[in-house]
Order: sequence, then structure tokens, then C-alpha cells
Amino acid sequence: MSVGRTIAAGLLGLLFLLFVALDLVFFGVVPLNSVLVTILPAVGLVLGLLAGILAGKRKPHPAQLPPPVVQSGNPV
Amino acid sequence: MSRARWLAPLSVAGLLLMVPAGKAAAHLDSTNGCKGSGTFREDGLFVDAETVGDDVVTIPRSDTVDWEGSVAAPPGDYSGNIAVDLPPPFGKLEIDSWSGTSDNTGNAGSREYDLPSLVPAGVEFKVIGSHTDQNGVCNGYVRMQIDGGPFDSPLTPISLVGTAGAGAGLAGVLRPLFRKVAP
Repeated sequence: MSVGRTIAAGLLGLLFLLFVALDLVFFGVVPLNSVLVTILPAVGLVLGLLAGILAGKRKPHPAQLPPPVVQSGNPV
Repeated sequence: MSRARWLAPLSVAGLLLMVPAGKAAAHLDSTNGCKGSGTFREDGLFVDAETVGDDVVTIPRSDTVDWEGSVAAPPGDYSGNIAVDLPPPFGKLEIDSWSGTSDNTGNAGSREYDLPSLVPAGVEFKVIGSHTDQNGVCNGYVRMQIDGGPFDSPLTPISLVGTAGAGAGLAGVLRPLFRKVAP
């Protein structure tokens, strides 16, 4: 599991749903004092962290792995 | 943003809260017989909180408001404030407050205002007012929005770009979730 990826996913999830909440306010879908403006960023943080953990646990398909490095043997 | 530029329309909103205890208007609660109204000169809009109820009042971005307000009896020592209700847990943003001693039961005036373009149009916000004097209290709120569309404010495209940027960044960080997994 990559801690850096998890933290980045959490922060980006928070930012993403924070901006979505602002979009909803600016387009008049929800009022300024709506609790949704508070909840959405928190949900984004939690979902981002969870998705980051899942992404860190995923093993890449062998076809997507870089080719192994072959060391040329030095003749003794 | 100049505090004064906010004051006029929001003060009018506050004044509109000072109405008699109209039981039909659920958002008003008064025990000192206060009332108030405002007329927007250019727009011609007349607002009296007693008839507004829970309707959203759409105000022009700039105008001059002729306002008047009163209480039923000489107020004596009084105090009050007007605030914009923010999403929890941020509470309220106080716009104006007042206090003093007076024997006048009414007041009136005119106030010109011009809200900057940064303030988004079409966004519903709740203005809360409270006034306390020797005869009782007057609490309430009015729901308002500025006339216009979402793109009247530069904040809307900034927010949309932020949404796209954060979404793209999130998709990039979570790219392994969309790949094929090893059998």
C-alpha cells in the first residue's frame, strides 16, 4: 500500500467534492447555508482515502509490468 | 470587498425582519411589535416581510432602497444584529450590529448599494436578523438572491475549472483501480 497515494487521493477527493459543492451553490441548486456544502467535502475525503487504499493494493497486470532488466554477466 | 457595499441590501433585509408577530410567517418571531418594508427605486420591487413568508426575494445587483421600520413602543435600551447564515459548522457571518438608547418608535431612510460582480447571482442565502429592546425581541430571517445567472460572477468558472482539475488529478492518482488486475 502506498501511503503517498492514499493521502493524495484523500486530499483530491476532498477538493473534488468541495468544488462540486461550490458548483451546486453557484448554479443555485442548493442554498449557501445547505449542510450539503459541509458534507460533500468530508465524503470526498473519506471516499478518496478508501479509493487510495484500494488503488495501492491493486497488483498491475503482468502485461503492464516493465520488462525485467537482464544483467549481462561479466566473464571471469 | 467593502463592508458598506454589503450593508444596504442586507440592512434592508434585516429591517424586513422587524415585522409584527405574523403567525402565518413561520420564520418570524416578534414580541415588540416591530415591522418594516423597503422599496427598490429602479426595480420597483416592494418587500414587506409580513407578506414575503418563505419566498425567496430576488434583489437587483445595484439599486437604491427606500426603507422604513418601526416598533410598537419607545424601545429604550436596544441592540441587534444582521448576519448571513453559513453552512454548518461555520455559523453566521455578522454583517452589521447596533445598540443604544432611544425613544423613537420609527425610522426611515434611503441607501444606495452596488454589489461587486464577485458576489454570485442566483445563489440563495439566508439573512438572519435580531433586535432586542425593553419591550421584547424581534427575530427572523429572509431568503434572498441576487438577480442574474451563475456566470455573472467570475467565481463560477473558477469553481468549474477547480472541479475539472481536481477530478482529473483524482483519476490520475486512482489510475490503478481502472487497470486490469493480475489473475
